[in-house]
Amino acid sequence: MSAIELIFPVDVEKYLPEIIKRNYGKWVDRKFHGNGIIEHISETGERVFTVKVALPPNARVSADTLEKFADIADKYGVGALRITTAGNVEFITDSLEKALKIKEEVEKLGFPVGGWRGALWGINTCTGFLTCQIAVVDAVSIGKALGDALKPYFTGEIPLPAKLRIYVSGCPSACAGGIGIDIAIVGMWGAAPKIREEVLPLCLPPPKALAKVPETQIFLVQICPTGALTLRREGGKIKLVLISEKCINCGRCKDNCDAFDYDPKDVGVAILVGGRMSNTGSGPRLARNLVPWLPANPPKYEEIVAVVKHVIEIWRQNAKPGERLADFIDRIGWAKFLELVGVPRITAEYMYWPDIARTYLLYRSRGEIIFRGLRDAP
Amino acid sequence: MAAPPGLPPPEELLKKAEEYLKELEKGPWPSHVSEMRKTGYPLYVYGVGLVARKSPWGPSVVKTKRLTGVLARIARDWVPGGGEEVHFRVFNTPGKFYPTDYLRKLIKISREYGVGLIEAVGQTGAIVINLKSKDVADKMIDALREIGTDVGGSGDAIREFNACVGPALCEFALYDTLRWFSEFKKDKRVHDAIAVPGLPYKFKIKFSGCPMDCARANRADLGFIGVWKGAPEVDQELLRKKIEAGEVDPKKLEADCPSGAITWDGKELKIDGTRCKKSMHCIRTAFPAIKPGKERRVAVLVGGGTKGRYGPKFGWFVGYLKPDEVKKAIDLTFKVIEPWDKEAPAKNRIGDYILMEGLYKFIEKAGIDLEDTPKLIEKLPDNVPYRVLSEAERVKFAEFAEKVKQMVKV
Repeated sequence: MSAIELIFPVDVEKYLPEIIKRNYGKWVDRKFHGNGIIEHISETGERVFTVKVALPPNARVSADTLEKFADIADKYGVGALRITTAGNVEFITDSLEKALKIKEEVEKLGFPVGGWRGALWGINTCTGFLTCQIAVVDAVSIGKALGDALKPYFTGEIPLPAKLRIYVSGCPSACAGGIGIDIAIVGMWGAAPKIREEVLPLCLPPPKALAKVPETQIFLVQICPTGALTLRREGGKIKLVLISEKCINCGRCKDNCDAFDYDPKDVGVAILVGGRMSNTGSGPRLARNLVPWLPANPPKYEEIVAVVKHVIEIWRQNAKPGERLADFIDRIGWAKFLELVGVPRITAEYMYWPDIARTYLLYRSRGEIIFRGLRDAP
Repeated sequence: MAAPPGLPPPEELLKKAEEYLKELEKGPWPSHVSEMRKTGYPLYVYGVGLVARKSPWGPSVVKTKRLTGVLARIARDWVPGGGEEVHFRVFNTPGKFYPTDYLRKLIKISREYGVGLIEAVGQTGAIVINLKSKDVADKMIDALREIGTDVGGSGDAIREFNACVGPALCEFALYDTLRWFSEFKKDKRVHDAIAVPGLPYKFKIKFSGCPMDCARANRADLGFIGVWKGAPEVDQELLRKKIEAGEVDPKKLEADCPSGAITWDGKELKIDGTRCKKSMHCIRTAFPAIKPGKERRVAVLVGGGTKGRYGPKFGWFVGYLKPDEVKKAIDLTFKVIEPWDKEAPAKNRIGDYILMEGLYKFIEKAGIDLEDTPKLIEKLPDNVPYRVLSEAERVKFAEFAEKVKQMVKV
């Protein structure tokens, strides 16, 4: 099909350290040695220790730091390290003394060791203003501000009832890992986007074609899930307009066209709680909207840090051991949880509906038929 | 994006940006700003973005020999001094293991052709390397190919896969996630779909070894999660030893089981396989005395995702595969993609398409026929109180009645 021949690093054996190759698939047990150090026991009797180290937000590391990591892995480890999906790095070694030595070395470099079991496992952030053109808040610096405040939960100085993970995303695309997590912080537009008329023609067919093509064939009209973007005739000219009452701030128009803009004073973040990917407890679910809008003030983001810390503290002080935030909310009930947090009670429907149901059931573009299965039913 | 209102003049703006950046270097958590100070990344652009509270980057293009995995940005006109940012998405190794010699080669490439900045893991699962400038793009691709990796996986293509660590470090893995990861990439059709963006929207594939779902396969367009059928296996001997040693409290185990499937009668621990919801609770607490069952399967989920027309959603279960049926899984991938690719409008994820079509219609169109694939016809009679039954169905119930008659001996 194509002339491009990609090379994939697919040889599993090639990238595994010897000790792991010998014990591949033979693990029988694990032990924890304080926060961040875990011992894997194989049926052959061999032991492997992994040390979990937090990376800076967005897992941005300089070549210099990585080189230092490689030196540590060579000196005290088995000559390999592993990067986790959560944006942490795990050093692999074969004895507890060496693991403790690694812990000491990386802490000297300023990287905390922690995670596992009842602790904060890490903060994932999207790229924010580092590369993204769509982000409305800088998730990376929010991640840094949260990390500063929540470090004791990561290193285990303050133990938590169960696993906690935080995703910080700069816009509703939620690139930090979606909203299926304990605490998700998502950048919000706050108000309907403004259209930059001078850029808009680049995303639309030429004016003459625009007058002829049916509305449903216009790309920008197609991508809007709620039909907020429509064509209107104004003084003999066809124009694309945005009906702000219909807009749900999903950011899909901005994803696909650079003509949509916002005013920084409207922008904030939403805080969603109680999601989870794992099948433990009562199973995977998406997080629920706790606070629909909070101001995001760089570089310290005091408001966001305070609310997140408040939520964690309520959970820590009231939850049973081993109870994740989702299970805790299940047990005490959403209404009681709202009362404990003290957020203003909101009656808007979107607080109670999962996002997907909201967009799917409530909104549609003109001419769009939802669920063809129903229409075509015999 | 246009310049935000009330932006200070350039000199003052840069000074303020520097203040913000200094602020971000303080604090006990590792700082991305201190890391980037050691590199050639245009940090002032980021700082200006923070002050303006708007992303300082706009779209740009770079011409390379790759169609996916290459992303370029240019600073907006209101950023004093301007600047550009080009980065590559580079394929990760299976399990994201990095032998130090391989890591050092990556570091060398990053210093030679890049600014010395690496994003160790993006949410797609790829490693992201920033480039020095647009001119070295092809040279960097050659250098990366030399060490055995490549650039790709962005835009409307199959993205970089994500697999949990699996049997390499975890005792719970129910199938070989890393082997599946590499088998998928060895397939020519998968290769083409990664190299050339031709789908309606992105397509992500993830492999999780057990229901704890570390690779987040639940929210992938196509997710594979290791499960077992029936009850977990209990080694009563070993469990008794563990209870005597005080490692396991059977009463607590019974009480904490979310599906209520565990019963403890003082001597033996029994688990009801029909009720078991595979929450992994007992297995995590009492491993290896309680192990996942012998009948291993890989559950296939289709249609998860965050970014899409209808917002965030989890995947739908469409059937089981056996742990060694990786070839069948690859065929399934293209079966699933086919109706979506043909019919879905642009920028609709496969989950959005399934919502529009209905799950059963989609299964029919894609021709998915796996073990336990949900089918509309197989709805239990108790869901539909009265309906026209086919001859075959009536025979089934007649046989059932006959069996009961024998049992009860009327």
